[in-house]
Amino acid sequence: MSETLMLSYGAAIREALDDGLNRYPDMLLIGEGVPDPKTIFATTQGLREKYGAERVLDMPLAENGMTGICIGAALAGMRPVLVHQRIDFALLAMDQLVNNAAKWHYMFDGKQSVPLVVRVIIGRGWGQGPQHSQSLQAMFAQVPGLKVVMPTTAGDAYHFLLDAIADDGPVLFVEHRWLHHVIGEVDKQRPAAGLRGAAVLRAGRDISIAAFSHMSIEALKAATVLAEHGIEAEVIDMRCLTPLDVDSVAGSAAKTGLLLVADCAPEMASLGHVLISRLYQRQPNTLKQAPCLVAYPNHPVPTTHFQANHYYPGAERIAEAALELLAQRPLMDTLHRQLQSDLAKDQPDRSFVGPF
Amino acid sequence: MNSLNSAELLDLYQRMLRIRRIEEAIAERYAEQQMRCPTHLCIGEEAIAVGVCAHLTDSDKVFSNHRGHGHYLAKGGSLVGLIAELYGFAEGCCGGRGGSMHLSDLSAGFIASTPIVGGTVPVAAGYAWGEQRRNSKNVVVIFFGDGCFEEGVLHETMNFAVLKQLPLVMVCENNQYSVMTPLYERQPARDIYPIAAAHGLQAVSGDGNKVEQVYALAENAIAAARNGAGPQFLELHTHRWPEHCGPNEDDELGYRFPGELLAWKQRCPLLHTGRTLAEAGVAAEALLDIEQRIGAEIAEAFARALAGQPPELADMERHLYV
Ligand SMILES: Cc1ncc(C[n+]2csc(CCOP(=O)(O)OP(=O)(O)O)c2C)c(N)n1
Repeated sequence: MSETLMLSYGAAIREALDDGLNRYPDMLLIGEGVPDPKTIFATTQGLREKYGAERVLDMPLAENGMTGICIGAALAGMRPVLVHQRIDFALLAMDQLVNNAAKWHYMFDGKQSVPLVVRVIIGRGWGQGPQHSQSLQAMFAQVPGLKVVMPTTAGDAYHFLLDAIADDGPVLFVEHRWLHHVIGEVDKQRPAAGLRGAAVLRAGRDISIAAFSHMSIEALKAATVLAEHGIEAEVIDMRCLTPLDVDSVAGSAAKTGLLLVADCAPEMASLGHVLISRLYQRQPNTLKQAPCLVAYPNHPVPTTHFQANHYYPGAERIAEAALELLAQRPLMDTLHRQLQSDLAKDQPDRSFVGPF
Repeated sequence: MNSLNSAELLDLYQRMLRIRRIEEAIAERYAEQQMRCPTHLCIGEEAIAVGVCAHLTDSDKVFSNHRGHGHYLAKGGSLVGLIAELYGFAEGCCGGRGGSMHLSDLSAGFIASTPIVGGTVPVAAGYAWGEQRRNSKNVVVIFFGDGCFEEGVLHETMNFAVLKQLPLVMVCENNQYSVMTPLYERQPARDIYPIAAAHGLQAVSGDGNKVEQVYALAENAIAAARNGAGPQFLELHTHRWPEHCGPNEDDELGYRFPGELLAWKQRCPLLHTGRTLAEAGVAAEALLDIEQRIGAEIAEAFARALAGQPPELADMERHLYV
């Protein structure tokens, strides 16, 4: 019997943690604020009450030390899930993550492994500024031995988190804060994807849009409006950064001949470059036009909303870039008008009134 | 405390009240949604900033953290610069680019506050090292919380500061909470300052809500650091009244012990000092007069800040590289 739930992405994460704690007696859930009244944007709500303070716990403000401690616990048979409310805080744990967690299995000849999950939240908005809104996922994805996933849909959030908990190696689970409120289907019976592969979110024949995390949502918005003008965009969600599923994108690009990559990271730190490069190396003649990468600028986001409002590319920019590739520039103004939102770009939705 | 006469105490009272009223004014206007940045208020903790900074010269330096308004103001940072920064205007002390969590006013010797917990601690020590090597008589003060005391970088810094006998004063504002996590979920039941002492710092603790006590402890610590006695550590007990981040109170969330907030409010630094002043014969009118002057200053500062301009879009990329 398939059991499909409609859940927000945040609730799907909570559901996965709940099922994980239930399924794996060795799972630990730890992080700054995990049991506090706000429960990491409600993603850990009720879990301490259900599974006890020995398994669901807060921690000292010691990101590096606690990562090492979780690595040790993982080596001793536990399955820790460590949470950082912002990816920026995970930088303090770089040494343990990169030098120990990611290398252990390799370095000790495959005899031991580190079944550790690290949840990190990226995002934007409400003056988060240079040190609280970075999108550093590519930096982590560059580390051999560390799996990095960034699911976009609630269904993937649920399954990837459970798969990550089941995985015997270290996994970085990247959530975009603006996805937390997006509702989607969660079919618990769906077969495990095994933390691999991109997903086609929308089929189309005219142009391929490969997007990462929250940009997939923006790409879907753009695709909906493009379709009103007879342009069918294929939207591929690049939900796993390691390994990057070049095959799916190659197949789509072979069909459409046009590739647009949309990432929620600075251009310099976009895995889109890797995707484009691999695709080109594999099939240089597939594309009718040079591919296009829509990403953030290569400077930190200023706190001031006056400027931040112009920092983040969204659905309009994706649609514009698509029209460029399709040589359909006359449609730009119309599409721009259709996609323009009166919502400030530091607000994920109308109910949000800050601060995070 | 006998080292303070009532004129001096009145001055400290006035500085504390100014910070309190500014923070309240920010909280009040925050709901208008024009200050679009996370804002960590220091209501309830004013005595520490004021009691410590009272001993600093213009050329002494201060570093701070996410809860930096009080430190910035106590060190003489520009009020208009602070408010304009919260609104994101070009006239802000960081051009709007930093917001509440990143403040700087070099002309006041307030070097920087940043929100990654522990981030400024080693930087402050490095600054003190520079001052020492230039043979200045300046001291550097770093403010941080009990949560920050758990960060490894703080202990690495203490080790080096003692090794080099730096003119550094480390001020730990122990408000018992890290966001909403109480101390007992994060640290064993023991005092913080003896750990600093074990690193080799001269370390003491005191009541962070009694400005005269903070003043006296800071006087010794700052003088010692200035005179080459090496790094100093103050653990000062206090409490934050509003929510960790944001304009409201959040006692209904239940993360504090019942009655805890109320008990701390009864230990309000302003109430305490006001009482001492009254006992010393300072007339109520004098306090009222201060209240009015501060009110006028704040109203004017908001008016001036709100007349600011949004920063140029073309400036977004500026200052990425020197
Ligand atoms: C390295 C890092 N980890 C976590 C956070 C999130 N955070 C911001 S303030 C804070 C609490 C800090 O507590 P404390 O140092 O005691 O200062 P207080 O807020 O109580 O003044 C935390 C955990 C952060 N900003 N940086």
